[in-house]
Amino acid sequence: MYLNDLNPSVKALTIAGLVFILAFLFDPITPFLYLIFVIGVTFLFGRFNKKHYLLYFSPFFIFAFGMLWTTLAFADAPSNPEQIIAVLWWEFPREDLFIAVSLSLRVLAFAVLSLLFIFTTDMVHFVLSLIQQLKLPPKLAYGVLAGYRFLPMLKTEFQQIRAAHRIRGVSQAKTIQGKVGQWKRLAIPLLAGAIRKAERTAVAMESKGFTGNRNRTYFHQFTVTKKDWLFPIFMFTALGLVILVSVKLGYFNIYDGEL
Amino acid sequence: MNEPIIMTKHLSVSYEEVEEPALNDINLSIEKGSTWLILGPSGAGKSTFIHCLNGLFPRELDGEMSGHVYVNGKDTRDYHPGEISRHIGIVFQDPDTQFCMLTVEDEIAFGLENLSTPLEKMEELITESLKLVGLEHYRKSDISTLSGGEKQKLALACVLAMKPDVLILDEPTSNLDPCTAEIFTQILHRLKAQLGITLIVIEHKIEEWTELVQHSAILNQNGELFYQGTLRDGVTEHASSLKKLGVWLPYATREALKTASPLSKLPMTIDELSFKPEIVHPSDGYRGQQLLQTDNLSWHASKQKILDSVHLDIFQNEFVAIVGPNGSGKTTLSLLLAGIHSPNRGSIHLKGRPLGEWREDNLRNVIGYVFQNPEHQFITDSVFEEVAYSLKLTNKEENEVREVVFQTLKEYNLEGLENRNPFQLSQGQKRRLSVAAMTVMDQELLILDEPTFGQDWNTTERLMDVLQDKNSKGKTIVMITHDMELVDRFATRVLVMEKGKVKIDKKPDKLWKQGDLSRYHLNLPPRIQAERMRLPYVSK
Amino acid sequence: MNSWKLKEIVVMSTLSVVFAVIYLAFLPIGKILVGFFGPIGYDLIFGIWFIVSIIAAYIIRKPGAAFLSETIAATVEVLLGNAVGPMLIVAGMIQGAGAESAFAITRYKKYTLATLMFAGVMAAVFSFAWGYFRSGYAALDSSYVIAMLVLRMVSGALISGVLGKYLSDALARTGVLSSFALGKEMRRRRAA
Repeated sequence: MYLNDLNPSVKALTIAGLVFILAFLFDPITPFLYLIFVIGVTFLFGRFNKKHYLLYFSPFFIFAFGMLWTTLAFADAPSNPEQIIAVLWWEFPREDLFIAVSLSLRVLAFAVLSLLFIFTTDMVHFVLSLIQQLKLPPKLAYGVLAGYRFLPMLKTEFQQIRAAHRIRGVSQAKTIQGKVGQWKRLAIPLLAGAIRKAERTAVAMESKGFTGNRNRTYFHQFTVTKKDWLFPIFMFTALGLVILVSVKLGYFNIYDGEL
Repeated sequence: MNEPIIMTKHLSVSYEEVEEPALNDINLSIEKGSTWLILGPSGAGKSTFIHCLNGLFPRELDGEMSGHVYVNGKDTRDYHPGEISRHIGIVFQDPDTQFCMLTVEDEIAFGLENLSTPLEKMEELITESLKLVGLEHYRKSDISTLSGGEKQKLALACVLAMKPDVLILDEPTSNLDPCTAEIFTQILHRLKAQLGITLIVIEHKIEEWTELVQHSAILNQNGELFYQGTLRDGVTEHASSLKKLGVWLPYATREALKTASPLSKLPMTIDELSFKPEIVHPSDGYRGQQLLQTDNLSWHASKQKILDSVHLDIFQNEFVAIVGPNGSGKTTLSLLLAGIHSPNRGSIHLKGRPLGEWREDNLRNVIGYVFQNPEHQFITDSVFEEVAYSLKLTNKEENEVREVVFQTLKEYNLEGLENRNPFQLSQGQKRRLSVAAMTVMDQELLILDEPTFGQDWNTTERLMDVLQDKNSKGKTIVMITHDMELVDRFATRVLVMEKGKVKIDKKPDKLWKQGDLSRYHLNLPPRIQAERMRLPYVSK
Repeated sequence: MNSWKLKEIVVMSTLSVVFAVIYLAFLPIGKILVGFFGPIGYDLIFGIWFIVSIIAAYIIRKPGAAFLSETIAATVEVLLGNAVGPMLIVAGMIQGAGAESAFAITRYKKYTLATLMFAGVMAAVFSFAWGYFRSGYAALDSSYVIAMLVLRMVSGALISGVLGKYLSDALARTGVLSSFALGKEMRRRRAA
């Protein structure tokens, strides 16, 4: 489907641009409408495991809610304290409430944008496209891929180390100093093992003729076609329309450089 | 024809942190199409040697290299970076650290991309190399889902796709179980016949290579080459020095060495053995009281059944070996027995009391557990502290602790290392230290997960001596192993596991009479193989 | 990138992956602290989220180590499902740039405890400036905001600077860093 076949670099840059613009907006309507739009686009044009999507998305709600109440609880003195909005049993200054809702909706809008990317993009393809389109040095790109491979291994390794320490009679530390020591004891074998693995991997890559220069062919070739340009045009136009709606409704509010 | 494809002249390498050179004046000449075994103890500069051959020295790695290495007649210094990989391909020891991509075909493509192979040719080369190693059905698989043996096959395929003239294998089977290792060497046999490729195997074990390899070069501890020639002459003429170096001699040679006079010709394979080897088996008659009892023990991880209703009684003074294919639940069973994991279903009783009711510190004084990776158990900065750690937890007097520690270090051949950082020890020293630190409390039951895995001959023997000594003093040993020779020599009882169940539970000599051992990825110990050969030759 | 050896890059990215996981593990701890103290709760332990840039720079000692490692760690965190989303990558880049600036000021020559603490402080300052702009600290009371900044700087100096050095030195003593700048320095010091 369309989103999965997009050039990963174009997709990433588009999303980065959208996130950047959204970061300047302080009204609740724009992020809300855009949030719904992005979810719609993701489900219509993406191919992915829907259950996993919900699983990834749900913690963002908790985070957004946390954002909401901390912004309200620790808000600066409002410039128009007489405007009050009552929510259930609480009363808030209108300005504070709007900013708080906007900030937390923005968290969700950022979340769905990143989920759109993560759920429709193969990470290896993304890195390969970064090399081919955005001129990321292959040495860095492949080096990072090699390190990324260790992720699942680290988990089992960590569990083994912890079990091994329990056997040795390492008990739960009570003091802060003890906790730091305990952390160090767990971290050192984990890191030492990881570093040795990383070094061996680098040697194996080099012995396969990897030099890190650009003079290589690609098994997966990525290009940017007309079809790829459609995505940023579509997404930015939609954002423009959403902003227009917000302005019409009189909610629109942009970051005014206030410090 | 037969010009040397690899030649080294006065090759020496030294690292700045070490006084003695890692390689010292190596002059070696390897002919095209020949098959070599490079033998040496761990830490004899074998890896350094490989890095010299593929040009990583002196370009990418630190250290001083003098002398010359010629590949196809050209000095490695004169090759462009990466160019040598067209001539020399390497399969490394650790299946987990040879890849940088996520899927099988991408990984093979990686090497081809490095050589700037055109896309149209890549497809063909990938298919061909996967077929050569028998992985054609895994083309789209994630590398992380492959077993260790499959990963090694993939490493081989990656290299073969690049069509090198020379294939170097750095202890390629040391992380595999014996059956998988055998399959791997069979592939090499086939490749050699099909492709006529030059093969160089770097090893500290000889047995499994005797059929494949004709030539050998032997390195000593100082990084000097003291022999190059045929494998047979190398083994039979230098058997005792090889043994001293910690090289794993073939069984027949070892047995003959025990008895033979210095003049007699040593055998290399079992069928050349001219006498029936004896075995001094431990006192397997005595069995104490019941120590551990499991009832209907089961364990599963995310819906996958790892252990399935195991009923087991372990008695005092037994020496139990747990064997079976990888993934059959051996390690899980051992972790449950030691109380490290809790079972999902069923129960374990230690001395008649449920394991869950034991206080952690009391439990640790009764059961010791040695993990497969020694480094995981290290928790202090020095060898001394490592052994002293458990003792100090028991509020012993400082003098007493010191005395016990030094006594233990001596027993494990670790004297003089007490101030070293445990991580800086050699592989064998690490292993011995991890066992020493674990057993210092003199627990009644000691459980070990493949303690001899990847170890050289000397460490294995020292370790088994200690375990047997403990066993003879009434301690109970439970040991996971793939080495049937150890089972034959030391175990009083053997548990064969398959798919989470204990399928066979009997004395080793009864097990060898069973016909279907290969079903469980087991092979016969060499002593039994020799017996079955019915002594074909009688020399002298 | 040419002055970097491949193994330095792979090791750096492996460190980043390890610390990405640790960063994630500290998020709930941060959340608990926020529950007690408000947004300032994060600042108490904020230094933990700069630690990989200090460790990578201290071990490898090449321009870019601090910036790249922090960026990679943030990216991996997002891939693992950090609830901040892609903006976290930008935050990581800015934190990394903060730490990097300290090493650049010392011309990548001095790797003393003071430099490392300075790098932690710089990472804190940079990240605070970004947070101010992005999370709308402008909407918070100004004395509270100053308290947040000071606390974050202290946390950066202590947790990422001091603890980062302590961890790296312990790691160097295991010998696995023998072919990296830190391991070599340690050997020279021991030889002297």
